[in-house]
Amino acid sequence: MMPFSGRKDGLSVSEALPDRSLFTLVAMMSFLAALTLAGATGARALSARWAGGAAQLVTVQVPDPDQPLKPTSNKKDPTGPSRAETVLADLNTLPPGTVVHRLDKEELARLLEPWLGEADNSALPLPAIIRIRLPDRTQVPNDLEQTLTAHVPGTIVEHNASWGERLKALANSLLACAGLALLTVGGIATLVTGLATRAGLSTRRDIIEILHGLGASDGYIAGRFAWRTAMLGLGGSLAGTVLAMVPLLVLFRMAAPFANISFQSDTLLLPDWKTLQNVIPTDMLVAFAALPFAAAFICWITTQSMVRLWLRRLP
Amino acid sequence: MIRLENVSWRRSKKQNTQVLSDLSFSIPQGGFRWLLGPSGAGKSSLLSLLHLETLPTEGRMLLLGKPVSKAEKRAHFVRLRQRIGMVHQDYKLIPGLSVADNVALPLRLQKRPEDEIQDEIQAILKWVGLGERLNAPAASLSGGEQQRTAIARAIIHRPGLILADEPTNALEESQAHRLLDMFAELSDMGTTMVVATHNEALIRRLERPALYLERGRLVRDEGAAP
Repeated sequence: MMPFSGRKDGLSVSEALPDRSLFTLVAMMSFLAALTLAGATGARALSARWAGGAAQLVTVQVPDPDQPLKPTSNKKDPTGPSRAETVLADLNTLPPGTVVHRLDKEELARLLEPWLGEADNSALPLPAIIRIRLPDRTQVPNDLEQTLTAHVPGTIVEHNASWGERLKALANSLLACAGLALLTVGGIATLVTGLATRAGLSTRRDIIEILHGLGASDGYIAGRFAWRTAMLGLGGSLAGTVLAMVPLLVLFRMAAPFANISFQSDTLLLPDWKTLQNVIPTDMLVAFAALPFAAAFICWITTQSMVRLWLRRLP
Repeated sequence: MIRLENVSWRRSKKQNTQVLSDLSFSIPQGGFRWLLGPSGAGKSSLLSLLHLETLPTEGRMLLLGKPVSKAEKRAHFVRLRQRIGMVHQDYKLIPGLSVADNVALPLRLQKRPEDEIQDEIQAILKWVGLGERLNAPAASLSGGEQQRTAIARAIIHRPGLILADEPTNALEESQAHRLLDMFAELSDMGTTMVVATHNEALIRRLERPALYLERGRLVRDEGAAP
């Protein structure tokens, strides 16, 4: 038998605390909390992404990449390194461990596919795109852009770190907002449980006073009510969390291609529903599993505190 | 043992409603006291005080040999209440429970084994004449049956102190006499008893010392040493 359940003491907590209101309200709170948790997980992943890998990325664009660096008077013999080769040679001076990769035609075409479609774009004057991944704890030399532009005029250096910092700050702000939202949801759950407990206490006032007079301890009476609200909280939160999984799965399926984009991978296809479980972060699944227990604990501790405070009026 | 020294009790500090004033008396362990006085004299209030439904606002009180004051921990009062049996004037039964479950409450709150509880219930209800009404809902009982259930609940856990507020007003004469005999027996066995009543016949039948209250004051204590 579960603790404090089915006691023949007249408290009839299942009637004093009916399941409809508290169960439904906790389910709604948990639904919101699950969505917020998903948002928080996303914001945290973004923050980590911009704090780590993305900040180490540099993209270099070289217009007219195949043109020789220095125009010669003899147009029949355009020898000498091309503009792209010159930039690649300059990039050899970067710190050891740096990965420099010039996108080939197919990679470039795939990159431009969302804008230009699958049409043949070989006639377009596309620049060379060079991706650079610096080793951890190294920085792009301050004079890299100056050096490249001096050697190969028109070269554009896009360093992610400059706007990555702003994105990281944005992600951290989102994380803080999610935390505040979770606190608010927890606060509302506490308030709702408190109101339900107060209503339950007022309907059982006489019986509580009789039991108190017969030697029932505060722990016994509080435990009877708290066990009931904890069970309602657990059930309600479980229902709310499961319900929240539906929109979240759709959202994850839509967001999966963007979440998967990495230096090496550039697939933009929606994942199959069956493989979706591999995309959902483990820490988020753990948070979802913990949510009903957290809700049950909030209900339990709120009711325990309220009943014990209420009993203080009796000696 | 009960001892009160200059005990007073006000219902409300704001309104300064003094209900009991400057009470001093003692009752030894196993002692029996009638609690007498006109209506409004404070008999029920004194019983409530002795049942720890409220605490003295002034003075010192010892109950079952233990101090009673606001300074004590709540667990102390819980332990004391479990050693007191109280028969309220309005019975204070729980209407949603059966006779047996009402009577079992003190034992269940003390976490006694269920088989032991069942044996005790059978015996005590048979004794008060409710052996056939074990499973009847308390709400369906007559006044006399409710009073007998309340009495059974007050004594089932063999308390050290029994307080009773007009415990025979709904009983037939023969039942009232049986109850008095049992009270006398319990007192002889070491249970302290305080019984408030207006019933002169009962007082004549069981000649024991009385405490007389008037307007919240103790005007005569027949148990006090001369």
